[in-house]
Amino acid sequence: MSTKVVVSSGKKLSKRLSSLLAAAGFVLPAILFTYIFEYYPMVNGIFHSFYRWNGSNIEIFVGFENFKEILKDSVFWTSVRNMLFFLCASIILMLPTLVTSIILFRIKNSRMQYLYRIVLCIPMIIPGIVVMLLWQFIYNPQFGLLNQLLSSLGLQHLQQLWLGDPSLVKWCLIFIGFPWVGSLALLIYLAGLQNLDSSIWDAAAIDGAGPIQKALSIEIPLMKGQIKLNLINVLAGSVTGYSLQLIVTGGGPGFASFVPGLYMYQHAFGSASSDYGYASAVGLLLFLIAIIISLLSMKFIRSED
Amino acid sequence: MAKTVRYSDSTVANYTRSRKGKGGEWGKHLFLIVVCLLVLYPFLLMLQMSVKDTEQVVYHFFGIGRPFHLENYSKAWHEVSPLILNSIIMAGGSALLSIFVAGLAGYGFGKLKFPGKEPLYWSVFAKMMLPGVLNLIPSFVLAWKLGLLNSYFSVILFAVGGAQPFWVFVIRTFVQGQPHELFESAKIDGAGEFRTFLYIAIPLLRPVLTLAGLNVFLGVWNDYIWPLVTIQSFDKRPITTGLAYLSTTHVGDYGPLMAGYVIASIPLIILFSFGMKQFIQGLTGGAVKL
Repeated sequence: MSTKVVVSSGKKLSKRLSSLLAAAGFVLPAILFTYIFEYYPMVNGIFHSFYRWNGSNIEIFVGFENFKEILKDSVFWTSVRNMLFFLCASIILMLPTLVTSIILFRIKNSRMQYLYRIVLCIPMIIPGIVVMLLWQFIYNPQFGLLNQLLSSLGLQHLQQLWLGDPSLVKWCLIFIGFPWVGSLALLIYLAGLQNLDSSIWDAAAIDGAGPIQKALSIEIPLMKGQIKLNLINVLAGSVTGYSLQLIVTGGGPGFASFVPGLYMYQHAFGSASSDYGYASAVGLLLFLIAIIISLLSMKFIRSED
Repeated sequence: MAKTVRYSDSTVANYTRSRKGKGGEWGKHLFLIVVCLLVLYPFLLMLQMSVKDTEQVVYHFFGIGRPFHLENYSKAWHEVSPLILNSIIMAGGSALLSIFVAGLAGYGFGKLKFPGKEPLYWSVFAKMMLPGVLNLIPSFVLAWKLGLLNSYFSVILFAVGGAQPFWVFVIRTFVQGQPHELFESAKIDGAGEFRTFLYIAIPLLRPVLTLAGLNVFLGVWNDYIWPLVTIQSFDKRPITTGLAYLSTTHVGDYGPLMAGYVIASIPLIILFSFGMKQFIQGLTGGAVKL
C-alpha cells in the first residue's frame, strides 16, 4: 500500500517535472531571445552612458560628464531644433492621410473603393530605400525632376540646389513624403471606420449635415483610437528616427538637417574616434524622451476612454 | 469584403433619397484619382527612366522615346541580384524563426500552466513599451563580441529578439481566444504538448502567423541602419545598404540605377501578391486589436 503511494507520488512528481520541462521548451526560446538581444543591450547601454567606452580596451567611469558635454554642444541643440521642426511637420502632415481615409471610406462604389485602396498600398511594397533614393534623384540639381520641370516651364531662375541649400533642405526632406498619404496609417484608419454603424450614416443624411460636419461628428470620433496610435508612432518616430536624414542628406549641408538620432550615430560610427559611451548617453536621453512621450500619450488615452 | 457589400447595400437607399450627392461623389473620385497619381508618380518615373540611357535622361527627361534600353536591366541584374539573395536570406530567416519562437511562446503563455507564468510573460511584454533607440550601439558591441559581424546571423538573431515582445503578445491573445476544448481533445487523444501545438495550434494560428511573418520580413527588408553597421563585407550586403552604395558609385548611370531599383522591388511585389489580402485583413480585421 505505502509503496504504491510512493510510486504514484513519484509518478506525479515526474509528470509535473515533464510538464514543466515542456512549458520551458515553449516559452524559453522567446524569453532568451528577448533578454539577450533586447534587454541586455538596453541595460548595457544605460550602464555605459556613464563611461568613456570604445567597446574594447577603453572603459573609464566618467559620471555625468557625457551628459554635461552633450548639453554644452551647440551641434546637439541644432539637432534638437531640427528635430522639433520635423516633429511639428509630421504631426500636421498626418492630416492628408486622415482626409484621404475618410473620403475613401465614403466612396459608394465598393469595387472602386477596393481599387483605390490597393493603389494607395503600393508604396508599402516598394522598398523604403528606393523611395528615398528616387527622391534624392528628383532633387538632383542637374538632372533631377524638379529643376528639369522648372526649366521646361521657362522658370530657370527658380531652380535651386534643393538638398544642397541649408535653408531648403529641411523642407525638401519633409516633401519626400508627398502627398503624405501613408499606406499603413491609411489601413489603420480604415480599420477604425469599419466599426461604423450605417444607421448613424442615414441619420446624418436626414439631418442634412455637411461633409466636414459629418467628418467631425461621425468619422473622427470613430477613429480616435487609431489617430492616437498613429500619433504615438509619429511622435516616437520623429524623436528617435534618423534613417531618412542619414540616407538622403547625411545631416547636411553642414548641420542643417542634423537630428539627435544622427548625432548619436555619428558619435559612435561616423568619426575615427568611436566614442560609444558618449553616443550611449545621447541614446539614453532620446530613450527617456521617447518613454515620457509614450507615457504621457498613454495617460492621455486612458483618461479619454 | 462582406462588410463593404453591406455598406453599399445600405447606401443604395441613401443614394436614391438624395440626388445632390452625385456631384459630391464625382468630387471624391477626382480627389482619390489625383492622390493615386501623385502617389504613383515617382514609381512611374522610375519605370520610364529605367529604359533610358543617360543622353535620353538629360535631353528627353519627360518623354518615353525609343530605343528602349533594356540592357539596363541586365546590367543592373548583375549588381543587384546578389543583394536580393542576401536580403531574402536575412528577411526570410528572420521571419520564419520569429514566428516559430513567438508561436511557441504565445501558445505556452496562452494555454499552458506553469509557475511564474505571469511575471515571465510581463517581462517579455514590457519591452514593447521601451523604445529601441538606445540599443543600436550596445547591440553592435554584442554582435561584435559574439563574432556575428559580417554574418547573416547578426541581422537574423537581433530581428527575432526584436519581434518577440509584440508578436508573443498578439499570438497569446489569439490563443486565449480559441475554445479550450479544441486543445483538450487532442491531449486526451494522447498527443503531447508539442504535437498539439504543431497539428492544432499552428493551423489555427495561420492568419496571425502570416501577418507576423510578413511584418518581420518587411521590417528586415527595409532596415538600413542595422545592416549598415554590422555588415561591411560586400558579398553579404542586403538591398538597402547595397543600393545606397551603388547610387554613390554609379553616379550619373541613371538608367541602370533605376532598373536596379525596379528589380529590387520585385520580390516584395511577388510576396505581397500572395499575402496582401491576409496582410490587409489582418490589419483591418481583428488580428491586432487596438
